[in-house]
Amino acid sequence: MTKHEFEVAMTCEGCSGAVTRVLNKIGEVNFEIDLPKKLVWIESDKDVEVLMETLKKCGKEVKYNGTK
Amino acid sequence: FDPNMTGTTVSLGVEGMTCGSCVQSIEQRIGTFPGVIHIKVSLEQKNATVIFDHNQQSPESLSEAIEDMGFESSLSESIK
Repeated sequence: MTKHEFEVAMTCEGCSGAVTRVLNKIGEVNFEIDLPKKLVWIESDKDVEVLMETLKKCGKEVKYNGTK
Repeated sequence: FDPNMTGTTVSLGVEGMTCGSCVQSIEQRIGTFPGVIHIKVSLEQKNATVIFDHNQQSPESLSEAIEDMGFESSLSESIK
């Protein structure tokens, strides 16, 4: 599986909690969230666009930093 | 906000918000949905008051939209 790095404009646990829940909803992903660094690492076979759209659902700014 | 436009008001319970940024994200995103005339989210009361056009949205669809964003939403509150 590919590991992708995303930068998400999260500011609090509420934000990271929302990210956790939307990612849990789509399933088939392993992820790690670093709130202070505003980074989300996702390990998944899904397309980057799909992951991007999912993260954007939280209403935060999302930037794709590439694979890790 | 156009006072001549008649809308339905619903108050939805929202769980999982912890700061002003969460409130803003919800207001900004749900506020752009078709049929949403006005939205006010309260962090203290853990709810969202939405005025909407019932031809385009329903309390259920609004609640789903909030859930879609990663927050818990309930329809428990009164509909005027």
